[in-house]
Amino acid sequence: MKEIFTGNLVRLSAIDSDELSKAFALWTRDSEFNRLLHTTASGLQSGNAIKHWLEKDMEDPSPGFHAFSIRTLTDDTLVGGTDLEVVNWNGRDAFVGIFIGARENWGKGYGTDAMNILLRYAFTELNLWRVSLGVFEYNPRAIRSYEKAGFQLEGRSRKQLNHEGKRWDVHFMGILREEWLARTQESLA
Amino acid sequence: MKDLFRGELVRLTSEEPELQAKYEARWQRDTEFHRLADSNPAELPSEKKIKEWLEKKIDGGSKPERYPFMIRALADDKLIGFMGLWLNLMHSEVWVGIGIGEREYWGKGYGTDAMKLCVQFSFLELGAQRVSLGLHAYNPRALKSYEKAGFKLEGCTRQDMLREGKRTDSFWMSVLRDEWLQMQNGVIA
Repeated sequence: MKEIFTGNLVRLSAIDSDELSKAFALWTRDSEFNRLLHTTASGLQSGNAIKHWLEKDMEDPSPGFHAFSIRTLTDDTLVGGTDLEVVNWNGRDAFVGIFIGARENWGKGYGTDAMNILLRYAFTELNLWRVSLGVFEYNPRAIRSYEKAGFQLEGRSRKQLNHEGKRWDVHFMGILREEWLARTQESLA
Repeated sequence: MKDLFRGELVRLTSEEPELQAKYEARWQRDTEFHRLADSNPAELPSEKKIKEWLEKKIDGGSKPERYPFMIRALADDKLIGFMGLWLNLMHSEVWVGIGIGEREYWGKGYGTDAMKLCVQFSFLELGAQRVSLGLHAYNPRALKSYEKAGFKLEGCTRQDMLREGKRTDSFWMSVLRDEWLQMQNGVIA
């Protein structure tokens, strides 16, 4: 049996709300980070405000919600976070989100590695049938990362977003249990 | 100027919570209706519970971006279904859900007519740039109806539902403002 929370470059760890809220407040000062992470207006929140909603979130978690921090294996630096929420237990489908905070840590494979760990958790620990995500057309780095992790494009919400005077598509991607198993069979044992 | 709430076959109305709850409780007892309109497991809420839920939403937490309607047939003024619109203010997008609860009104164009009113209302009244919806792959009647109202298929969430032992897909569709304006051949209201 494998240790399921450790990958090749990073590991998933428990969230320390003190640590994550401070780091997150710094990351959100970069408006590009916000643009890539979510669809709402970019804002600036204090570490305290972020800590407040983090702790509220963690107080009474629904049985289908799992959130983690992402840390590097080399020096245990907190580089980002990821979460998974089962949207439909009947269909065993979950929606995932992931982010790498600081620009200097983008494009190094941390996100892809963390997503691989999250998928292993989804399919071997939670026994899900499929995993879904949404990504914006102006984030080709994320799209490429999700493709590497095995996600397939399932559709585009045309011109759904309005940013900086233009309308943009949202891509929806998914990976099925059988597709994930076919990719990872040799490494499961 | 045209009455935006009146179509060829139906009109959009607002109803007292008592009456709405009475109809919705009856519609919910029809599991085929539930299968077509919803993704959650079938439940049997009481009239009282539905009424409480409606009053909470209508009188309490009603936000400007939520537009709930009921649907009445013009010919006999019968209450036959519901429609809900959610407007995303920042991105000028409307999400719509619709259900025709009265079986004898299925397949006769009532839903299509109501959906045409929804699209017109979204573009002319709410200033939307896009109207979106989702449906189950096992509901071809709905797919055809939405196409008639101008929607295009944008994507397919593969195998996200387990219904009666079978894996099924979900579809999502949209109509863009420019597409809709073209369909009107320059004749609006």
